[in-house]
Amino acid sequence: MSRAKDVLLDPLFNKNPIGLQILGICSALAVTSKLETVIVMSLAVTFVIAGSNVSVSLIRKQIPNSIRIIVEITIIATLVIIVDQFLKAYAFGISKQLSVFVGLIITNCIVLGRAEGFAMKNPPGLSFLDGVGNGLGYSIVLIIVAFFRELFGAGKLLSFSILPTTSEGGWYLPNGLMLLPPSAFFIIGLLIWALRTWKTDQVEEEN
Amino acid sequence: MSRDSTAKILTVAFLLCVICSILVSAAAVGLSERQQRNKAAEKKKNILMAAGLYDEDMSLDEQFSTIQTRIVDLQSGEFSSDYDVASFDSRVAAREPETRFVIPEGQDLAGIKAHSRYQDVYMVMDGDALQQMILPVYGKGLWSTMYGFISLDADMTTVVGFAFYEHGETPGLGGEIDNPNWKNLWPGKRIYDDQGKTRIEVVKGTVDRGSANAIYQVDGLSGATLTARGVGNLLQYWMGQNGYRLLLAKLKQEGVKQ
Amino acid sequence: MKPLRNLLDKLHPLFAEGGKLQKLYPLYEAIDTFTYTPGEVTDGAPHVRDAMDLKRVMITVVLALVPCFFMAMWNTGYQANSIMQVNGGSVEGWRGLLLELLGYGGNPNSLVDNLLLGAAWFVPIYLVTNIVGGLWEALFCIVRRHELNEGFLVTGSLFPLICPPTLPLWQVALGISFGVVIGKEIFGGTGKNFLNPALTGRAFLFFAYPAQISGDKVWTALDGVSRATPLSHAAEGGVQAVIGVTSWFDAFFGLIPGSMGETSTLACLFGAAVLILSGIGSWRIMSSGLVSVVAISLMFNLIGSSTNPMFELGPHWHLVLGGLTFGLVFMATDPVSGAMTEEGQWVYGFLIGTMCILIRVVNPAFPEGMMLAILFGNVFAPLIDQLVLKFHIKRRLRHVQG
Repeated sequence: MSRAKDVLLDPLFNKNPIGLQILGICSALAVTSKLETVIVMSLAVTFVIAGSNVSVSLIRKQIPNSIRIIVEITIIATLVIIVDQFLKAYAFGISKQLSVFVGLIITNCIVLGRAEGFAMKNPPGLSFLDGVGNGLGYSIVLIIVAFFRELFGAGKLLSFSILPTTSEGGWYLPNGLMLLPPSAFFIIGLLIWALRTWKTDQVEEEN
Repeated sequence: MSRDSTAKILTVAFLLCVICSILVSAAAVGLSERQQRNKAAEKKKNILMAAGLYDEDMSLDEQFSTIQTRIVDLQSGEFSSDYDVASFDSRVAAREPETRFVIPEGQDLAGIKAHSRYQDVYMVMDGDALQQMILPVYGKGLWSTMYGFISLDADMTTVVGFAFYEHGETPGLGGEIDNPNWKNLWPGKRIYDDQGKTRIEVVKGTVDRGSANAIYQVDGLSGATLTARGVGNLLQYWMGQNGYRLLLAKLKQEGVKQ
Repeated sequence: MKPLRNLLDKLHPLFAEGGKLQKLYPLYEAIDTFTYTPGEVTDGAPHVRDAMDLKRVMITVVLALVPCFFMAMWNTGYQANSIMQVNGGSVEGWRGLLLELLGYGGNPNSLVDNLLLGAAWFVPIYLVTNIVGGLWEALFCIVRRHELNEGFLVTGSLFPLICPPTLPLWQVALGISFGVVIGKEIFGGTGKNFLNPALTGRAFLFFAYPAQISGDKVWTALDGVSRATPLSHAAEGGVQAVIGVTSWFDAFFGLIPGSMGETSTLACLFGAAVLILSGIGSWRIMSSGLVSVVAISLMFNLIGSSTNPMFELGPHWHLVLGGLTFGLVFMATDPVSGAMTEEGQWVYGFLIGTMCILIRVVNPAFPEGMMLAILFGNVFAPLIDQLVLKFHIKRRLRHVQG
């Protein structure tokens, strides 16, 4: 059982796909200006990683080696399109804000990385846990980034006013940089700094 | 059958493609009706917001029951029945050769080069009387094309509401076109003067309230001169000769012909 | 000076290894070496003996900035006083009370009145910059057990000079914090930063709170006075619009609204002379920057444009308006964040001058382009150096291989 637990929980802090491997950064920059969109994006990515991991793992013994990557990408693309269609039908407002970035989950390196690196070698149950774990690891970083960006950029969290802004008669002057994508770089950078101060074994060796 | 034989590769590829395409098409077809409804509702909501009629607690269809949609031919200023109101999309029509109108050189204030000759407009009716006219407008800001609706009173010149529903201006600067305080400056402003000249403009800085022109002027946005100028320019364009001026003049003279 | 030496010597055991305040040794060391020459002498060979150590470099830069400091205070006061003389109005708040005590008369022709009013705006920004920035610096030095050095002295002097006078003090604190921590300390401190910390801090404020550092309302030290910089006039109406608000000589001497220390080209030229004579600032960067500014703006003059009035602004205007000269003299030549190789410095200066004019003329959103141009150059400096080195190695290998 401890294997399963490690597979599920390691990607949260010990082997965080964004924090340690610096994967999946592009969507982390693009969609994190609001907490609401990030939560939906996180669910979508978690669903796709878990789904593709299970599917790939189920047929891993049938997949011919030469078309391995194509098969994986096809499965991932299918899942992404399904998610995109569902969001357009049931969460139209948010899917509009996420625009192309739902479709771009296909290019999120975490998804293909887990399918190729884990699901091809492990049974479906473990692969599912690994997918969920990595999805959560991705989510946790995005949620932290979005928390700071929405709070300091708009004075709000989940669209509820926390720091009343000057344009609404309050005292807080919103930090415009937080609404621009580069701020996510700074926050992710600081997060990785904090993470590696806490878990010093993640520090890369200088060469 | 070995795992890497050609036959196996073809079989796996074929099966995978069949299964995936079934899943994808099932999702697309099964959900499309709901997606269309969402799209239509979104548009209705934007229109209602521009008109200042939007009420969160009422159903959209109920709120929209007093609104009639028409397609207008900008060149004649007449309503046209050549197109189906429900499926008409002016952004698509702007690309079709037979409906495309290329703006003559030097007149392109909105910075959009071309647009559809036909536009869908929305009339808020009280029985047979036209109360408000809601018109789609768009044009270039600093970084992006800004899409909005402007709503005019029955006199076809006084603004009732004006709002953008899609743009990519800098948050905090040009993005302030979404600020309710700024949007509240618009109601009551006049588009045309008594001679029918398009007068509406966004000034740099603040409007001199005492001046006779104040009724045609709206405060600029601090730190976003170019976005504000874009807003003024796109209104100048759409309220002008190539835009809705003919339609509005006719409506004002003749009222709505059923 | 003897008693201070004695005091420092007496305190030494407290901070030395095993002493009670061992952790604070960097602070002790900083005070000691700031006042006296360092106690350590290089003892291993080979080494170069040069009177120019880090401290002296930094102090020379600060000296080169003295005319800019003077103009920052004088011009800030002059701009506000001349407006008040015409429109009326008075200095409000604590500044008003303090100035009254000091016998301030509000006369734009009086040197003292201008300096007093200017100082009332400049000094708080300077103090906040140095206290907040210094605290960060000290914190990182103590945590890392480094010695506190004078690197910050220059950043702390440059940063207030590129602020508009009305910049809120909390934003000054935030900006310099970002500049020092993100622009310098996380890369390892003085000597390891690849971006100029003062500009990093300003760029942060520029994107975070644009309303307080750009536009028309921030350049005059008076509430509610809206006066565009000549450069934004140029963006609106070309040369005619600039001549309408200032003369070339006024702009050259620095009698125009703008960020406090950057308006006077004359003061910057003094700085350039000091930096070049002492060998601290690279004359290569300055001259290639100058050449590219002249070349690119002449090119735009020739091309011309019916819609963009910036195209017609000549090089003689570009050089005296905005922060171009200040940036080229004091920021682009920063030896840490700039290019190090000689050929690289030519390319680097050229890149910055070109980018600055490009941003000023072609980009519709920002009338000023020097800050972004230098940061852009900073990012490219290591790459330029790398290429120059590679080229050298290749050439020499050819000689060897015959």
